[in-house]
Amino acid sequence: MFPLRWVWKNLKGCQGRYVLGLFLVTITALMSLANPVISRQIIDRVLLPPAGVERDLDALVPLVAAMILFTVLRTGIGYCMVLLFEHCGMHAAAAIRSYLYRNLQSQDQSFFTRNRTGDLMTRLTGDIDTIRAVTAQTVRTGVDSLVSFIAVLIYFLSTDVVFTLLLCSLFPVLFGVTYLYSKRVRPYFAAQRERLSRMNSRAQENIAGNRVVKAFAREQYEIELFDENNKAYRDANIAVNRFWLKYYPVIEMTAQAMSLAVLCLGSLFVIRGRITVGQLMAFSGLVWTFSNPVRNLGPLLNDIQRFLTSSSKVIELYYASPSIVNRADCRRQDERLAGDIVFDNVSLTVSGRTLLHDICLHIHPGETVAVMGNTGSGKTLLMNLIPRLQDATKGTVLVDGTPVQDWDLKTLRGSIGMATQDVFLFSDTVDGNIAYGDSEMSEDQTRRYAELAAADFIDKMDEGFGTVIGERGVGLSGGQKQRIALARALAVRPSILILDDTTSAVDMETEHFIQESLEHLDFPCTKLIVAQRISTTRRADRIIVMKDGEISECGTHDELIRLGGYYTEICTLQEAIGGES
Amino acid sequence: MAARNRYDVDETLQSAFSFKHFRRAIRYARRHTKRMILALAASMIAALSSLVYPLILQQAFDVVIPARDYRQLAVLTVIATLTTLLSIAMTKARARIVCDVGQSIIYEMRSDLFAHLQALPFSYYDSRPHGKILTRVIHYINNVADMLSNGIINFLMDIFNLVFIAIFMFFVDVQLSLIILAGVPVFILLLMLIKPAQRRVWQKISNKSSNMNAYQQESLDGVKINQLFTREEQNAGIFDRLNQDYVHYWNKAQRINNCVWVTVDNLTTIVVGAMYLVGVLVMNPMASFGTIAAVSNYAWRFWQPLLNLSNLYNTFINGIAYLERIFETIDEPVEICDAPDAVPLPPIEGRVSFHDVTFAYEPGHNILEHVSFDVKPGESIALVGPTGAGKSTVVNLISRFYDIAGGSICIDGHDISKVTLHSLRSQMGIMLQDSFIFSGTVMDNIRYAKLDAADDEVRRACETVRADEFIQEMEQGYATEVNERGSRLSQGQRQLLTFARTLLADPKILILDEATSSIDAKTERLVQNALNELLKGRTSFIIAHRLSTIKNCDRIMYISNKGITECGSHEELMAKKGDYYRLYTAQRTSAAGE
Repeated sequence: MFPLRWVWKNLKGCQGRYVLGLFLVTITALMSLANPVISRQIIDRVLLPPAGVERDLDALVPLVAAMILFTVLRTGIGYCMVLLFEHCGMHAAAAIRSYLYRNLQSQDQSFFTRNRTGDLMTRLTGDIDTIRAVTAQTVRTGVDSLVSFIAVLIYFLSTDVVFTLLLCSLFPVLFGVTYLYSKRVRPYFAAQRERLSRMNSRAQENIAGNRVVKAFAREQYEIELFDENNKAYRDANIAVNRFWLKYYPVIEMTAQAMSLAVLCLGSLFVIRGRITVGQLMAFSGLVWTFSNPVRNLGPLLNDIQRFLTSSSKVIELYYASPSIVNRADCRRQDERLAGDIVFDNVSLTVSGRTLLHDICLHIHPGETVAVMGNTGSGKTLLMNLIPRLQDATKGTVLVDGTPVQDWDLKTLRGSIGMATQDVFLFSDTVDGNIAYGDSEMSEDQTRRYAELAAADFIDKMDEGFGTVIGERGVGLSGGQKQRIALARALAVRPSILILDDTTSAVDMETEHFIQESLEHLDFPCTKLIVAQRISTTRRADRIIVMKDGEISECGTHDELIRLGGYYTEICTLQEAIGGES
Repeated sequence: MAARNRYDVDETLQSAFSFKHFRRAIRYARRHTKRMILALAASMIAALSSLVYPLILQQAFDVVIPARDYRQLAVLTVIATLTTLLSIAMTKARARIVCDVGQSIIYEMRSDLFAHLQALPFSYYDSRPHGKILTRVIHYINNVADMLSNGIINFLMDIFNLVFIAIFMFFVDVQLSLIILAGVPVFILLLMLIKPAQRRVWQKISNKSSNMNAYQQESLDGVKINQLFTREEQNAGIFDRLNQDYVHYWNKAQRINNCVWVTVDNLTTIVVGAMYLVGVLVMNPMASFGTIAAVSNYAWRFWQPLLNLSNLYNTFINGIAYLERIFETIDEPVEICDAPDAVPLPPIEGRVSFHDVTFAYEPGHNILEHVSFDVKPGESIALVGPTGAGKSTVVNLISRFYDIAGGSICIDGHDISKVTLHSLRSQMGIMLQDSFIFSGTVMDNIRYAKLDAADDEVRRACETVRADEFIQEMEQGYATEVNERGSRLSQGQRQLLTFARTLLADPKILILDEATSSIDAKTERLVQNALNELLKGRTSFIIAHRLSTIKNCDRIMYISNKGITECGSHEELMAKKGDYYRLYTAQRTSAAGE
């Protein structure tokens, strides 16, 4: 079975211990049967010897000592065995988590469009814990039950075949009922899982969107929506329980019937002289061990069911392979890239729609290129192709003459500083956020990049660069977040700097300052700047205007002004503001 | 800044182990007292009837078998069967009630927590990873519920069992029973030794797993940045450390936890062994076989509730750690709430006045000082000034997202601190810098502003802001599923959607906080035209960096130095040749290239 092989693989480094655990659980299961055997000795030899046998009082002390010694040994081994299992289960879970963390971090954007964080988190927490629990506990108790059962069966058979077979006649009933249960309960479990996940997503969105909720005074509405999910989850839990309770009496009664049979038939057999009182005691002591495995079959099947569901969810992530990966023969380079970028007939098609059409463009090292265009015209997509956040479906993007696919991702991305449109900051200090690309950086240096990005507000914060900012940086205004993101991009001293609408929320004066500092960077750098403001674009060496996924205009500010196209229109539009006064 | 929480910082618990939280939690259970008592009664009957079996067994060994009394054997079998049936029926009843009660408690507690979260201010959400808040709503509550339903009943049941087993045992033989009970003090001593360690280690586990999960969630949310900055390896190292921390404490907890059953098993065997010795060798006359058999049966049963109680103690310890977190959240003060005598704000015209307003996010750091202004209904106001000067703060104050430290803010003459929040905010249209998109269809997202809006109404709003065009171009138009992470929408498109959403609310006061920063110039111009129509009859506050947007406003306020330094129309401020003039000319110069 594949999921089992997969877990086994993740037990690597622990496999030997796991096998030892399996061996020890067999031993302890057998040993736990010894107590009744010793008790039987005590009864038959000391307490109530069968007629005609001499009472042997001297045997009592050694027998009791043996019983105690045996227990000490058994529990000692048992303690080690349980710990072995728990450690192995946790080891496997940690190995899976660690691998998944790396694998998820290497996935490309399309993966995260398909999988929501809430759902991923459910798999990373709940599902992995199920796998752990099954590896550590279900397997252990399963083997324990199986071994005890077989041993008891053998013991019973050796004591009295007819009596044993009579007891066994109840098994088909038990099996039938538990099988039926485990088969029919599946949809209930599925519903429970599904509703938990839905409630989880609902709460997550509410937390993430708390500003919007407040802005529209929709608290009551949110409470009602959540209430539905909360109720649905409650009802699903109750339904699972009710369903189990429907089967419980039958299963329990059948199991208990074995004890009743021991009482009734056993006494009868003793009276008839077929078995001894000691044997009856042993039967009555062991009958629980005998019926328990079967009684626990239902929960066991549930666990297995849950394990299969959880492991398939996790395995899906485990083997998810990103399309954007290093080639085996990829090019690594330690010295600085020059920053030469070529788009050679590049097209990009996403789910059947061509979003970029045959883009041809050569950007020279050190050049500053501004990109303009309407919302949705493909500016961001074009930028994403350079650090391979996305791969072109047709044509080639070359950096320093090498197709981006042939570069080592680390070399390529390490040479690019990018500030994305949707600013994401980590819940870390300002310093830690700016030095994100190079955590070795001294605070003096981060301070310098902050200055370049006009992030002078940092010093006004209570703990300056040591201030911890919140998730998604929501403690800051839009312009402040953008400037930290810009400083972060600059701090890697990139060969290629990509600013995707990075100063949109920054005021004019500050933007002017930023433009100035970008022009006087102390390292050579090709700059690509997506912007809407003429004040930004006119300083560029070249301006590209995107329209419906194509480059519609390309040239210097003056050239484009003369062209009389989109750019001219935007210029007049923006200059008109000044023109009136 | 408020104390913030990072992934690698354990959340410290405010108080040590205390029954205060537990008593408070009991309140949830108390609403179901009747059913709990029923469940307890059912458990007792079940427990009592299952105790009959050893007695019957004793009877069989001591009387029936020696006497070969078939009739009595039949009677005993019937009694045993009946008591078994009764026990099963009662166990079922109990399980059913307990599940219902437990689920009701989860539901109620979660509802309370969620409702409270809705009332908490931005700063609460801003100061900790969202993953940690989510864990409280989902996992902690799930964990606590079992304690409050099953936990309480099991606790009472186990105590009850102990007492009854002891009574039954004494009933059979006092001397032998005392031997069995001799093990109890040893067990209690052991518990006292390991419990403090156990509590510490479980708290560690819950902290470590919370840190690990928060880090995972943030890594997933920021995955693009991690890739761009090639931080994958370094972050994986950080994660491995968090992961190993968790594993370390988990293993430690297992080592401690498993001591308990080992001890109990050994103790039981020792006391039973001792009982054999005493019963046979010391007692004179020797105890009957039936007596010894019954007492040893009870002895095994007696230890089970003790073991249960010690496990329950763990459940309670963990549960209380969770309760502390949950109640900590529920106790988080709601700074901004309806005044006790708050009245609904009647439909407004849109007059906004600030009287001597002073505001600070934190005491001692005033952002605004003594700000006063009056805005007539229908007037449009542009707020300009350096980043961080407090433009967003001013508009946030109008919606009462924060309470002011001094002065008053009135809308149509009503002090906003004296009207209900809902009536206030529902009459404003606020478009924030973050354009958050809920998962659902485009239609649902826009309709969020007005839940009963007809499809046509939604469409019209979209047409007004020029969002209709791109929406129609999506595969399923308005029915296209979008979500927060969805890269289906560009930043500009998201802003257009939220813009439509705000317009749909048809507010009397419109607040645009950098709402159009990511919309391209051409689209913005179209939006601008639509806006001009829309601004008619509405009071509006606009924060924008583009002077094109600003210039058309009736009045411009220049905000810096904790107040309004300049105020007037574009022409007036230009004539004044002050801060605004400098800002304007700077932009014009850079735009025109002169």
